[in-house]
Amino acid sequence: MTRETDLCFAADLGGTKLAAAMADGQGRIVAELTEPTDPRGAAYVAEQIAACAHKLAHTAGIDVVRARHVMVGIPGAIDPRTGRVSLTPHIAGLEDFDVLGFLRQRFGPDVAIENDVNLAMLGEHALGCAKRCRNAAFLSLGTGAGLGLLMDDKLFRGTHGSAGEIADLPMGRDAHSQIPSTSGTFELEVGSHAIVDRYRRQGGTAAATVRDIFRQLERGDDVAASVLDTTARWVALAVVTLQSLLDLELIVFGGSIGVRPELYERVRQILPSLFSRPIPIAPSQLGDRAGLLGAAWAAGQALRQNLELA
Amino acid sequence: MPPAPITSVTRQLSRRSVFEALLHHSPISRADLAKVTSLSKQTMSEVIDAFEQQGLVRPVGRTRGNVGRTAVLYELSPEGGHALGIDLGARRVTVALTDIAGRVLAEADEPTDSRGGAWAIDQIARLSDRLARDNHTHPSRIRSIVMATPGVVNPKSGAIEMAPNITGLDHLNVVGLLSEKLGSPVVLENDINLALLGELWHGCAQNLDNVAFLALGSGVGLGLYVNGRLVRGENGAAGEIGYLPIGGDPLQAESRLQGCLEYQVGATGVVRRYREGGGSDVDSEREVFERAQAGDPIAAHVVEETARLTALAAAAVIATVDPQLLVLGGSVGARPDFADQVARVLLRLAPRPVEIRTSTLGRRAGVVGALSVALRRLHDEFFGVAELAATLPLPPPAHRSARQ
Repeated sequence: MTRETDLCFAADLGGTKLAAAMADGQGRIVAELTEPTDPRGAAYVAEQIAACAHKLAHTAGIDVVRARHVMVGIPGAIDPRTGRVSLTPHIAGLEDFDVLGFLRQRFGPDVAIENDVNLAMLGEHALGCAKRCRNAAFLSLGTGAGLGLLMDDKLFRGTHGSAGEIADLPMGRDAHSQIPSTSGTFELEVGSHAIVDRYRRQGGTAAATVRDIFRQLERGDDVAASVLDTTARWVALAVVTLQSLLDLELIVFGGSIGVRPELYERVRQILPSLFSRPIPIAPSQLGDRAGLLGAAWAAGQALRQNLELA
Repeated sequence: MPPAPITSVTRQLSRRSVFEALLHHSPISRADLAKVTSLSKQTMSEVIDAFEQQGLVRPVGRTRGNVGRTAVLYELSPEGGHALGIDLGARRVTVALTDIAGRVLAEADEPTDSRGGAWAIDQIARLSDRLARDNHTHPSRIRSIVMATPGVVNPKSGAIEMAPNITGLDHLNVVGLLSEKLGSPVVLENDINLALLGELWHGCAQNLDNVAFLALGSGVGLGLYVNGRLVRGENGAAGEIGYLPIGGDPLQAESRLQGCLEYQVGATGVVRRYREGGGSDVDSEREVFERAQAGDPIAAHVVEETARLTALAAAAVIATVDPQLLVLGGSVGARPDFADQVARVLLRLAPRPVEIRTSTLGRRAGVVGALSVALRRLHDEFFGVAELAATLPLPPPAHRSARQ
């Protein structure tokens, strides 16, 4: 059924934006778009993904039915045995919505969903700064915190698909208190809401987003600098944790906050004081397209395999 | 090197599959071997004849058929070759001997010679010789030796570094000396990795492929088994969780030197915190645990804090690698009272519920793991096919019943 001219559809669903693309069997992007994520929740977001495929097919001048291979990145853990999505606080109702079932209904059987940060790891491994690595991680810092793990050249998802759910790392205020009871403590320190909160608590001027804080930093705002110092320290502690556990070849920094040199450079400077061996880190080469390019590459790989089998 | 001719690889594969069938189905007849391996009867006869000549198999009786001819049953011969496992610990040295079929023949242990260094190596050689002699095994039949050791083996000098609890190993070619004394090359492997492999072969983690083994004793360490393989890391330093930034200020000198977590939960950390808390003099961390059980409130507090920090480390492991099973091991970690405390804290702390078991092999975990690797290497020496990456699956622990 698969033909040489078939394309694949890739999407990277985030808490605030949705990126989508049509790509060929080599993972090369033919058409691409980005939209704000529909804030009304899972069912609307699923429709939005399908609508993106139609728009992109139109742009690429193809019939949408030719996009048989579909890969969608989801900001949550996906249980490899059940396909169930969990740990997705940033999109309402996603945990109770059968994303895979919906997509299969629209696009046919060759549909897969994958954790978005795993796809970013795959993107950097196939096309970016982790090309020669066998054991690496993609540390994504943005709305939330997540980690994609590459072990022995393959994605490592863990037993329940929740390997790399470092939002739950037991560090931060609660974990160090006498009664550590809250999970997700690391994200409470480094997630975008935490950063904005910290900025406000320390008496910073009006800032609605982390981007505003970065802008304030450029203007020489001391509070912004101090808030980023604190955030960088928490991130550095997470990096030390990862390296103690896994001794990786490379930790790639990505996500809307992770790629910012203002943060990355701060972390890089702190690390030597926290760990006796050098820890290899690098900013994402593919930037905010890492997840989308990883999805396109994975979908393209599925397409190529089907061509070989045909 | 030019690739081996196809026929040779085919023969190697035949030998390998017959051996594997013998490993898992002994005693077994030629006809059943042919069925299990899907090899022709003629090929089977050739392989079995060759094995008999090599002393790898022996007949052990006949099938009890109803009518008609009965068939000879074969099993792997204990004379086929032996493997030796060693566990060099700060407190005890353990050695164990297995035959090629994975039957553990004998095991012996002694307190580690406190003078360390060459004395410890002599002690290992003496223990091994005695074990072989007692089992009427000529040392030349021991063809594969693996030793579990704390610290890190320097591949250039053969010395064991970062093992502060045994003196004099960091400037000795341990690998070279031991290989010479035992008359066969000795392979060294991290003790926690081997304890984990021990639990996977004979212990509480059988048939699993994502397992974390958290060991707490004189130090703290982690073994990770992921997708059916040990995680060693880029520099062999995976699982060095003593350096986790937990339990103190990671910027402190002690944290950088000894590791932030180890400085608190390692044996010296436990003893230090007990003294700092106003406790009287103790010789070892074990005494602190015993006093806690006997109702000493200062000791109880130290133990509780140790359990809390251990649980934090476990939570970091669970968040990062999402294991099927977390095994608590080591002289402290495997204590049921302590493990219970860790599990209780983890209930509140872990991002998701995870199954926790205490090591069932306890002190033997390291030596059993060393045996499992030594046995694999022995099998690969006989039946490894260079073109085939996978190693032979080890026989199940049922074979231990043959132990006298």
